[in-house]
Amino acid sequence: MIPLSWYLGLAFVLIGLGAYGMMVKRNLIRILIGAEIMANGVMIALVALAIYGPVFEMTSQAIVILVISVAAAHTALAMVLMLSYNRRYGTSDLGIPITQEERIDV
Amino acid sequence: MRLFIDFIPVIVWAILAVVLVFVMLLASWVLRPHILQNSEKTSTYECGEEPIGPARMTFPYSYLIYTILFLIVDVLGAFLWLLSASPLRLDPIVAWQTLIFVVVLMGGIGFAVKYIPQTSLDGSEMVIAYRRAKRAAAKVEKAGRSH
Amino acid sequence: MQEFELLFEQFEFLLLAGVVIVLAYLALEHREIVYAAFFFGIMASFVAGFFLLLEAPFIAGMQIAVYTGGISALIIFGVLLLPRAQDSTLETFASPRARRIGMIFSFTIIFFSALLAAMFPWSESFPVSRVGESQDLGMLAEWLWGDHGIYVQMIALILFTAIVGAIALMKMDKAELIGSIRGEFGPEAMPTPDEFPAEPDAPSEAETPEEEVTEE
Repeated sequence: MIPLSWYLGLAFVLIGLGAYGMMVKRNLIRILIGAEIMANGVMIALVALAIYGPVFEMTSQAIVILVISVAAAHTALAMVLMLSYNRRYGTSDLGIPITQEERIDV
Repeated sequence: MRLFIDFIPVIVWAILAVVLVFVMLLASWVLRPHILQNSEKTSTYECGEEPIGPARMTFPYSYLIYTILFLIVDVLGAFLWLLSASPLRLDPIVAWQTLIFVVVLMGGIGFAVKYIPQTSLDGSEMVIAYRRAKRAAAKVEKAGRSH
Repeated sequence: MQEFELLFEQFEFLLLAGVVIVLAYLALEHREIVYAAFFFGIMASFVAGFFLLLEAPFIAGMQIAVYTGGISALIIFGVLLLPRAQDSTLETFASPRARRIGMIFSFTIIFFSALLAAMFPWSESFPVSRVGESQDLGMLAEWLWGDHGIYVQMIALILFTAIVGAIALMKMDKAELIGSIRGEFGPEAMPTPDEFPAEPDAPSEAETPEEEVTEE
């Protein structure tokens, strides 16, 4: 049987990759892909804990189903937000508008 | 472990599908005559007219909202699939729960379908871009004919 | 036979893990966005393979249906819809300094989490006996629809909020509606080459973002 720490190690590697993608990338779509990779890593960790420990058996699997649905809703809204951003600023890059436009001091 | 071995035919089938696509492309590349590159025969066909302008058109924005609607219905279908595979589907309490679930989601989809024409995601932009390109092409044609 | 099965399982796990990590890296780092979006879709399918290795068939099916069939298609549509996002020459990548900071941070996360995962005595917290295979969906359906049916209704409300929010974000007010009918668009107006000058009676095509702001 594969030890549980292997699955968790893989899950944490995916989470780290997703975190790197979300922090470093400037294009909007790459940030969304990084967020989804992180969500996948979290799901692998949850399911591994579900199977290897009878304490969490059904709860963790059902929670993964809920997590998948919530991730779907979040991706839909993120895509619509990206479209609005693109219509407003004309680019899908995150770095540009703050330097070029005048800041509005609230 | 047993489950994984049971599902190995699925990945074999997926690999075969990809290999099939590549083999078809490769076969057509091998059997094509390579002498006719960059000649008139390989240029784009526009019913006998000269093709003007770039071939890239604005993608219809309305596809996005339908993809989002598909995603919602997909999650709905996954939950109903789970329910249908268990003996719980004959329980009357669960039937009422399912009814509420489906009605709420269908209400959301109905709201979306009703208010799509008021968003920026209907097809008006594509129609206007097409008309503008047609007018510009007609102008160039008139200018070319008058010279 | 037991050792062969054990070896086979470990080999499978390593193969799948390698493929998933390579695909995830490619999905983030490839220069063309369209390739990155497709790599993400293929990676989602291989993660479903992981769920099969972990003996959770329903979650594997739901992952393929929702993630690969829905979310990955949504991302590919987003790549196609955002204008000038397909042209890889127009994309700016992060500076090396930002990349170094990001790498240090994520390596810290991975290192400490992996240390925790390796050192924590998992086998003492849970009994060693392997749980029986949950191939029948009956228990899962009973948990979700029977005992804790409120979560399903919450998911319905969350999805309802998502669709209403998507419509509300994309709604235009009267000024923008008239502008879109007359043909004035934002910065994503189709770029016209120089041999097609703008007609004198039609509204100007080169709209700047400031003008949209004053119309709002």
